[in-house]
Amino acid sequence: MTLQPPPAVPFRRTWSAAWTGAVAVAVLLAMALADRADGRAVAAAVALVALVAAWQTVRAGQVRAMRLLPRGESGPERPPDPTASFAAAFELLPDPALVVTAAEPEDMASRRVEAANRAARELLRIPRQGALLVAAVRDPEVLEAVEESLFGAMARTAVWESGGVQERVWRVWTTPLASAPERRVLVVLHEETDVRRAERTRADFLANASHELRTPLASLSGFVETLRGHARDDPAVRQRFLAIMAGQAERMARLVDDLLSLSRAELNEHVPPVGAVDLRLAVADVVDALAPLASRRSVQLETELPAEPVLISGERDQVVQVVQNLVDNGLNYSAPGGRVCIELSPGLDAEAAGAAAHPGAARLSLLTPDREPGRRYAAVRVRDFGPGIEREHLPRLAERFYRVAGQKSGERPGTGLGLAIVRHIVNRHRGGLSVDSTPGDGSTFIAYFPQPDAVSG
Amino acid sequence: MTNTDNHIVRAFGDELSQLAAEVARMGGLAEAQVSDAVDCVARRDTTLAHQVIERDEKLDALQRDIEKRAIRLIALRQPKANDLRRAVAAMKLAHSLERTGDLARNIAKRSLVLADAAPMSPLTRSIERMGRLVTSRMKEVLDAYTGSDLEAALAVWRRDEEVDEHYNSLFRELLTYMMGDPRTISPCAHLLFVGKNLERIGDHATNVAEIIHYEMTGEDMIDARPKADALAPAPAGV
Ligand SMILES: Nc1ncnc2c1ncn2[C@@H]1O[C@H](COP(=O)(O)OP(=O)(O)O)[C@@H](O)[C@H]1O
Ligand SMILES: [Mg+2]
Repeated sequence: MTLQPPPAVPFRRTWSAAWTGAVAVAVLLAMALADRADGRAVAAAVALVALVAAWQTVRAGQVRAMRLLPRGESGPERPPDPTASFAAAFELLPDPALVVTAAEPEDMASRRVEAANRAARELLRIPRQGALLVAAVRDPEVLEAVEESLFGAMARTAVWESGGVQERVWRVWTTPLASAPERRVLVVLHEETDVRRAERTRADFLANASHELRTPLASLSGFVETLRGHARDDPAVRQRFLAIMAGQAERMARLVDDLLSLSRAELNEHVPPVGAVDLRLAVADVVDALAPLASRRSVQLETELPAEPVLISGERDQVVQVVQNLVDNGLNYSAPGGRVCIELSPGLDAEAAGAAAHPGAARLSLLTPDREPGRRYAAVRVRDFGPGIEREHLPRLAERFYRVAGQKSGERPGTGLGLAIVRHIVNRHRGGLSVDSTPGDGSTFIAYFPQPDAVSG
Repeated sequence: MTNTDNHIVRAFGDELSQLAAEVARMGGLAEAQVSDAVDCVARRDTTLAHQVIERDEKLDALQRDIEKRAIRLIALRQPKANDLRRAVAAMKLAHSLERTGDLARNIAKRSLVLADAAPMSPLTRSIERMGRLVTSRMKEVLDAYTGSDLEAALAVWRRDEEVDEHYNSLFRELLTYMMGDPRTISPCAHLLFVGKNLERIGDHATNVAEIIHYEMTGEDMIDARPKADALAPAPAGV
């Protein structure tokens, strides 16, 4: 076969130069904008508009080129198909982006998703091309922004909370693309959960820290005062006071530690962990770490672990902290002579994983993961035979600083943050947390974590 | 099939999907009303409360519109089986969502009264928690509707008792408060109604799940709700 230089090649080169230029401009613009606090998202939107515009231009150019180039005559020197690379670029953008079309102003069913990239399909669960827009987004503010871009030819932004347990927040940009033959808008979403969460977490941290540290600090200065005054020459009193003061200082340190853990867990709650953890090893770590406490409190620590590794998607330190906080509670709220059992069961669906371990007990889910059909979970169950918890307290257990009134706790009073930390970490792991308890008979706390796809069961 | 037949069939399908799209839009509005109403209470935001109260009219209008369209569709097209159920379900859903909106408006109204009283932060935290639970149920069940996902609807339906558990706990908490300090009786009573309204909104989410079940299978859910008492001792041998 003789190779004829196809006449379309110059066309393609011209077009390719044009869109390379457009993308370059967009990237420059994007970089210029990226300095501003909210610039990154604006930049992303600008780049996308350029990208989609260039894509459409190229599509037009390609149609022309195709007319000049009969089928089958393409030479091996042909540059890669620009439409394909734009489609790939659009597809791979990390921010969700979609193109929405509409025929009539009054008809909600004529708003359709013409194209959606992978991020958008995953976030909005768009089943197919041409799906109803309202099936993907129902939020009135977002729909209104889309309307104004469709029929008012205006670029708009809106804030959208995507719902679900991770409570993610998005900035939504809508930009008109075309008004004929069909109206078309580009919708770009950019996640702002980080910023908002950082603000809230910092405010909470400061408020909680100053409020909670005030009491032990005041009591410390009270003791210092007394030690300087009447108690100066009384060694017995001094010894007693110093012991109390050491206890207070330790409590303050624990509070600060827990508050920091809580803030950290809250800050990245929407960022799924990478990596896998063998839950058996996490449990073994905890048993080693808490064995001294168990023997001091004369509580027996038992485990029931499968022979095979139990892999979950997670971050080891955080998973260990979850198990540790639950076992720590079990030990602390057990009477001397009691026992605490840790049990692992892999390969459960979400409902089975969070189900009551003991018929007759009051049960409540403190955290239910968003539904993921087919997902398997591994559950850690921590059971104690202590006082149990009255049913009316269950909903509040994971609230920060909440402690059931009038309950005896072991050697050191808790901070009331342990379960709040557990809940945030488990939520970050897309897992669940539930409790069942019978007053007088004890409590079982269940934390369950999603298992990686590769291992089924 | 002739061209005209084809046209009629397509237009009919269009009308049904318009109806479904309007129901979804209404659902989005109802969701926003509920979550804003809870925010009004939690943040003592009176501006937002007035907006929620005002926006309720939109839900009423949407409901009337959906009902009118559905009736016209049924009367003129005389749809059979599946299609008839879809039209009837749209009407039922619109009704349930409109009631949900009324309850949200009522919460917003109470938040105006509560904003005049001293803040009771542990209590509003409980209201917020319950509100989040209820809005997540609404979201899940409406996702199930737009995605025609029967399993997802049933999952919402099965978790029905959770909201009640939160309500009972809130009730105890409020009681303790009122007995401890009689001056809090009036704001606590409002909070109790806020909680009751949230519980009823949760019931509407369950109801929506039942309507989806009816729409997709043609059967009512006759078996007793899981509500019966998930916490009572299970029969022996279970
Ligand atoms: N295993 C348990 N048995 C009885 N009560 C418990 C148990 N675990 C937690 N609780 C109750 O829940 C409250 C909150 O627990 P947590 O967040 O770990 O805080 P802390 O243990 O520091 O008080 C505890 O104060 C206690 O009242
Ligand atoms: Mg604890």
